[in-house]
Parts: sequence; C-alpha cells; structure tokens
Amino acid sequence: MKRLIQLTVNGQTRDVPVQPTRTLLDVVRDDLGLTGAKRGCDLGACGACTMLLDGRPVNACLVLAVEAEGAEIVTIEGIAAGGRLDPIQQAFVEHGAVQCGFCTPGLVLATKALLEATPEPCDTAMREALSGNLCRCTGYVKVFDAIRAAARRLREERTCPVTPS
Amino acid sequence: MSRYAVVGKPLPRVDAREKVTGAARYTADVRLPGMLRGKILRSPVPHARIVRIDTSRAERLRGVHAIVTGRDTAGLRVAFVDTPRYPADEPPFALDRVRYIGDEVAAVAAVDDATAEEALALIHVEYEPLPAVFTAADALRPGAPLIHEFEYPGKTIWEDWGARGRPEGEPVPRADNVAARTFVEFGDLTAGFERAHHVRDDRFDVAPVAHAPIEPHAAVAWFDADGRLNMHVASMGIFYKRFVLSKALGLPISQVRIHKSYVGGAFGGKIDVFPYELGAALLAKKAGRPVLMELSRAESLTTTRMDFHAAVRVKTGVDRDGAITAQDIQVTVDTGAYRGTGPVVVFLCYSYNIPVYRVPALRYEGLAVYTNNPVKGPKRGHGAPFIRFAVDSHMDMLAEDLGIDMVELMRRNARDRGEVMPTSGDTLRSCGLKDCIEAAARDGGWAVKRRTADWSATGRYQRGVGISACSMFSGSPYYPFASAAVMKLHDDGGATLFAGTVEMGQGSETTLSQIAAEELGVPLDDIRIVSGDTELTPIEFGSFLSGGAFVTGKAVRLAAADAKRQLLAMAARLLEAGVDDLEARDKRVHVKGLPHRSLGYAEIIAESVKRAGGDPIIGKGHVKSVPDAGLHPSLSTARGRWTEAYGFAAQLAEVEVDTWTGKVRVLRLVTYHDCGFPLNPQIVEGQIEGCVSMALGQTLQERVDLREGQVFNPDFLAYRLPITHDTPDMVSGMIHSDEPHGPFGAKEVGEGAVSGVMAAVANAVHDAAGVRITSLPITPAKVLSALRRRTTEDMGGLERAPHAPQRSDAPRHSRGAPRPRDSFTGSEASS
Repeated sequence: MKRLIQLTVNGQTRDVPVQPTRTLLDVVRDDLGLTGAKRGCDLGACGACTMLLDGRPVNACLVLAVEAEGAEIVTIEGIAAGGRLDPIQQAFVEHGAVQCGFCTPGLVLATKALLEATPEPCDTAMREALSGNLCRCTGYVKVFDAIRAAARRLREERTCPVTPS
Repeated sequence: MSRYAVVGKPLPRVDAREKVTGAARYTADVRLPGMLRGKILRSPVPHARIVRIDTSRAERLRGVHAIVTGRDTAGLRVAFVDTPRYPADEPPFALDRVRYIGDEVAAVAAVDDATAEEALALIHVEYEPLPAVFTAADALRPGAPLIHEFEYPGKTIWEDWGARGRPEGEPVPRADNVAARTFVEFGDLTAGFERAHHVRDDRFDVAPVAHAPIEPHAAVAWFDADGRLNMHVASMGIFYKRFVLSKALGLPISQVRIHKSYVGGAFGGKIDVFPYELGAALLAKKAGRPVLMELSRAESLTTTRMDFHAAVRVKTGVDRDGAITAQDIQVTVDTGAYRGTGPVVVFLCYSYNIPVYRVPALRYEGLAVYTNNPVKGPKRGHGAPFIRFAVDSHMDMLAEDLGIDMVELMRRNARDRGEVMPTSGDTLRSCGLKDCIEAAARDGGWAVKRRTADWSATGRYQRGVGISACSMFSGSPYYPFASAAVMKLHDDGGATLFAGTVEMGQGSETTLSQIAAEELGVPLDDIRIVSGDTELTPIEFGSFLSGGAFVTGKAVRLAAADAKRQLLAMAARLLEAGVDDLEARDKRVHVKGLPHRSLGYAEIIAESVKRAGGDPIIGKGHVKSVPDAGLHPSLSTARGRWTEAYGFAAQLAEVEVDTWTGKVRVLRLVTYHDCGFPLNPQIVEGQIEGCVSMALGQTLQERVDLREGQVFNPDFLAYRLPITHDTPDMVSGMIHSDEPHGPFGAKEVGEGAVSGVMAAVANAVHDAAGVRITSLPITPAKVLSALRRRTTEDMGGLERAPHAPQRSDAPRHSRGAPRPRDSFTGSEASS
C-alpha cells in the first residue's frame, strides 16, 4: 500500500505517494526527478547517493523515504544558490577534483557537511569525513586540494564577507 | 613562456560545472515517457546444459511487457575479438548451454523493477550440470571438460573492412580449451643464454581484479517511429558500439543511433557490447516502449568483464654488465567462459613489454585459456600491469644477484629514441623512458633511501624504495580505425566542435576543445563541444588503447586548421592582402606590420556568409589511428604496425613494512610520465594520480575472490577499493618528449602509469624487509609468512620452509654475501 508523505527537498515541500519499502534514493531520483544523487552500490558502501538530512550526510540508498519525512533534505541540485556555485563546487571545478563526475555529487555534499561542522579540518579529519565516498578516477589527491581550497575560501568569506554582485 | 595560449595550460574542465551541480546526465538518469525497466536472468551454475526454459508464467504476470531468451538470438555470437582465427564465441543469451555463473539466460521488461524481479523468479530453467574447470592449469590438462565444443567460423564483423573470413560451414570441433595463443621469437635464444654471465628464471602470479567504476553498467533503448534504434550506453567509444550493435541486431549502421551520456568511469570495462545492451534493444523492440536496463553492483562486478588471472614466467640471461642477452617469457591467462579479450591480452603482454628494455633474443608465448569463470576483458593497462610486475620484479632480483644498482641496470637496458620495435616495425619517434627513470629516481630519493643496512634490524617498521618502468600504445588499428572532426564557426567568432568522443572522466571534451581553441586562435570559452552522439558527430576512434587524445586530437586540430584556412582566405579577400601576409591573434586577423588593417573573426565570418554565397565556414579533419597499418596485423604473431607512438613512465614507491603484522603502507609514489606534451597538465596529473590509486589497489588489496566460479566479494564492502585513507603522497611529473606525430607533441597518458606501481612496490617491500613477494596482491598474510620464513633461515636455515627457493651459486656482489631471499610462490635462480 502506498502512503502519502511530505518530503522537503532543497527547500521545497512536496506530497509524494510512496510504497513504505522504497528508499529515499529511489523516490528522489524516480518520483522527484532529481537524478544528481547516483546509485552506485545499494549498500551504503560507495557514497554516490549522499544527501544531507538536516545537515547530516546520509547514504540515501539506506534511508527509507518514509523515514525522511519532516527532515530538511538537501541534494546536489540544491546547493548552487541562484545558479551561483557553492565555494565547494567552485573549488572542485578549479582544482581538477572532477573526472567522470559520478561520485562528485556525493563528495561535494560530504565536504559541505564536513566544512559546516569543522571549518578548518586537519588532514586526518578530512580523510575520515570522506572515507565513505569512493572515487575510482582521481585517487583523491585533487579532491583533497579542492577541500583545502574551499576551506580557505569559506574562511575568507567569513572574515571579510563579500556582497554578491 | 609557453609557445601556446590554450594548450599546455591547466584550465578547468569544460564538463566540470555540469558535474558539480548534478546536471550531468548519465545513462541511468535518462527518463523517457512509458519507459520500462529491464532485468536479466543469469545462470546460477558454472557449467550446464539447458534442458528447458519455460517463460509462460512470467509472461502472464501483470506488468510484464516483453521477455527475451536464447530463442530470440539463436545462431548469433558476439565478441570483442571476431576475426577469422578467433571467430565470435559468445551467444548473447544462452540457448542450450551456460558456461559461467552469471551467464545470461533471459531478459525481462516490466513496468518497474519489482515486477521485473518477480518475473525473473517465475522463469523456470532446467539445468543439467556439466563438469566444470576453474583454473587455466586444470583446463589445459588432457581430458579436461571442453568449455566450447565447437568453433563457429564464418563471416566476421571485420569483413566489411576487407578482412577475409573463413568460409561459412559446419561448426569445427575443438580439441582443447586454448582460447588464443601468441607466439613471438626473434634473435638467437640459445646463443643468448649461452653467452649470458647469469641467468634467472622466476614465476609470478597476479590475481584477477575488477574495474569497479562507480557508475554501474546501464543502457537505455527505444525504437523511434521510423523503426530506428536509439540508445544511451555506458561506453568508451560510441562508433564501435554502434557498429557491433548494428551487426548483431541486423540493422544498417545508419539505423542505430547512440545518444550522448556522460560515462561514470570505465577503465576498459565498458568497451565490449554486452548481452544486457542487446537485451535492452530486443526488449524495446518487442515491447514497443523504451527500456532502461540498470545492472546491480554485483552484476557489474561479475558479468561485465574483469581483469585476468595471470601466471607469468620470465627467464633472462644478462652479461657481466647487466645487459640482457636473451629472454624467455611465458604468460598464461584464465580468460573465463568466453574469449573476451584473451587473444588481445596475450598479444599485449608482449607488445607493452618490448618497448621498455632492449632484448636481442626473445621467445614469448602467451596462452589464453577457457575456464568456467567469469569472462575477462581489458582493464586499464590491459596486460601491462602483470607483465611489468613480473619483468621488473625479476630485474630487481637480477640486479641484486649481479650487485648492480637497479636504476643502473634499467639505464643500461632501457630503450632510446629512434629504436624500431621488433615484429611491428613501430619506431620510437619520441622516447623519454630514461628521463622518466632518472627523474623518478631523483625525486624519489633513490640514492639516499635505497636501503643499505642489514635486514636483521630489529625495528618493527622497515622502510625501503623500489622502482619500475612501463610503456603503452597511443591508439592502434581498431574499428573505426580513424577519427574525424568538424568545426563550425559562428558569426560571433565562436565555434562549435563536433567530435565523437565519450567523456568518461579522462577529460577528452576539455583537451579536444583546447586543441580546437589553440589552432583556431580563440579562448577556450569560445569553443562549444558536441560529443558522444553518433548522429551529430563524425566517426571517432574511441577512448581506448589510449588513442583518444592522440588520434582524435589530431583530427580536431586538422578540422580547426581547415576552418582557420578558410577564415584567412576570406580575410585576404576582404583586406586585399595575400594569405601569407596575414596573422591571426586574439580573434582578429591583421596584415603583418599594419595593425590598423585588421578584421575581427566575427566580421570575417559574417562577410563570408554575405559574399561567399552563404558559406558560414565549416572545417573538417580526419586521421587514421595508424596510417600505414595493413588490414591484417596479427594478434597471434604480433606482426603488423600497431601504434604510432609509445608513452612511457617510471614509478618509484617508498614503503613501510610493519614486520609485526606484515602490512605494507605506501608512503610516497613518484611517477614520471613521458606523455609527449601535456595538453592540460591538470588533467594529465589527474590521470596519473588515478592510475596510481587504481594500481595500488591491485598491488595491495584488491582481488576478485573466485571459488569454483563463484565470486564471493561482489560488492563494495567485501571488494575493497582504495579509500581516502589509502592515498599516499604522490608526485606526478611529466616528461616532454614532443612526439612528432602527436597533436602539439602529445601522446598516451591515461593508462601507462598503472603498470609500474606493482613492481615498484614489490621491489620496495624487498628493499625494506628483505622478502620477495611474487604474487599480487601483496597482502599482510603473504608478507608475514615470508618474513617468518626468512627469520627461520636467518636462525641457521635448519627448518627450511617447503616453498623456499632453491638457490644455486649466485654471483657474489659488492653488497657482501648473498642475503637470504624469499619468495612467496617460489622462484629459482641459476647461473
């Protein structure tokens, strides 16, 4: 039997009829048409489906859609405000942290959660925060470069805020 | 200062913005009205005769729209290798026999995944088990069960291209399980070994590993109103896929269109045309609706090819100075239930090895053997990782025997520019191999970090360094043998590049756009690229055999040059000057020495439309992958031209061995890659870093756990890829050797640097802890066991371990008496 639930994704609340057995990943990709979160393993092992649930990174393939009711869900589509890239996205672009791009949405969101909780992470904290996100292309080297650069940029923005032009 | 304005610059990728925002569309993201979901029924047994398939209950299930079985593909065989010698051997869906766990038996299209799964469970298949074999050695034994009882000669897909097929006739009975053999012999082998000062003979073993791109395999298929097949596929070359799909489905090539999808990593694993892709097309035809076939992670890991299980034996004779006098190499790979790329890999183990060291006399034999294991295919390096692991581990052992420093030994044997490869006649027009070795040794601190102390030191953590080198093609003669490109100018001075490349992470959209921008004389932002669509772009070689940038890059450069030539001709008319008196800069054409007489590109193009009968200026370029390759280069004899340019790399590993646990930690990995010229240094670095990471996975931890044909680790919890914590410090340097046949001097970069890591690490482990591991992966258990055996020997050698090497009188050398050496799988040394 389907249940009608309310999901708040990227600030928009939608009524969605779902089978209680369906995952948040399936519902967001198939019913809401947001395909930025990727299906990589269906086992919570690769992090390609990472979404933020009330600011916390989760593997959406391990969360039932009904469990996410009432939470603020953020997907990769929700972080470039008004078409302006988030500083983390910008850093990923500039530092060559993107190759095939399939793991990128998950890496960007995991980084966002990390830098919001720990604005200046040490190397170990950075590796730990991203240890659940597999990337087969980059060897993580340029991902680390991008995260360090994003942390620097965010720090600058905090200390000397720039008015968006 | 650089000669160039756009190439050679670390510019951000043109596809990055789409990828960081989630807008980039991959095959499984495609949503079409009425789209069904496809699923595959697979064999649960390694070898069996199919007695009966009953789909009637599944057909009656509500929501099921189509079912495909072997009856729909009867008589059809599809394979990556489909030549007169090696005719295709893989039926897309089993008709009467399954040969491995995962072999495709049926496909279902239904309204959703759950219904499709339910339908699979309702298909009844009656199997009659047959005896199975699971190792190459067992499969080669006389009396072993035949995995393929017949060969089916006849027309091959290559006939369209002039390759003569054997006449179609009765199936030919097969006598053994040998799927392919490559044999190469040159020079006087006997004399070479006779005049050798020292000879070693060693064996190595490499476990199968998985490609494991993060994107699982997927395909979307639909037929349009005119009956044309349209597909999104996870590919590495859309024109190859289109060709094989059209042949297999009996459609004219122009009735099949591949649409653009980004590809979420491939690493060799997405070249083949797979049964699931043919299944998606057949289901879409039957159902009259689009079908999305998305494979699970387990299916992706076990049924879409994996790397080979390889056994390598290397015997080398060297003179007093360490120069190779003769070499005898045997490679045996388990190619699985179908040929896959077995015939290619046993050829490539010869071809990727021969450009590294000068060998005056060689005998090489490569055997690919059928088993009832999953099918093997090309994985990044395609043979180079295991042949280079074996040969450079062996060279390190030779260096020690001779008392010659390994870097010095490499230096003495490494090839130089201008050398011509035996059998192929390929010439090394550029070769930075020695520069790579020198640079890696220098930056890796070889001279100071190479261990000189005794291994009996009692510290728990022991450090050491090791080095290895490797080489790789830059494209090869393979379908479609060539790349073309079209460049269309716009009346604002910008341009659109039409190139058939598939962007799978390698950065081809960016580097090709850079080439176009450089040649045309515009900033990168002015180039828009249309790629990945067989209808919108001319043929393209594909991004495999490391030919993407090398082959397609040249076609793009020619297309841009053609457009620019037309632009200058029009400018000459408008400026009333000779073409030779013009120069183009910053999107303007000037008369030399008269800066006031100039026109912007936009004005010239607009005038061309008005004056020259509406010509908007369209440039065209094309190039063959290997221009003077014949149609019959031979995989079995390695004769025939194979590539235009070889990339080279040298890699140095610094490791720390925990002698209490056997765990090996790589501290630093230094790579120098001779890529000719880095079209985009940031992308080149990214390719090297990715190669190193993947190679370290294979060296230290990855292994497909196959037992009796069953994969026991078909998921990312049990099959552990390198994670953030596993990333060592990396130095990824580039050697500019300026390949004369490459676009702006560029050649291969995406594959080479996977293949030097294995021996570099194995040699470093030996340097650190005095133990020689001759099988991959180098697990803590192997290291610990070798350390224990060494300790036993150190204590007097009274309890010689059963697998310890048989040592004869190896020559004494400057570092003192021969040290106890150990080997995991056993090796022999003889003088």
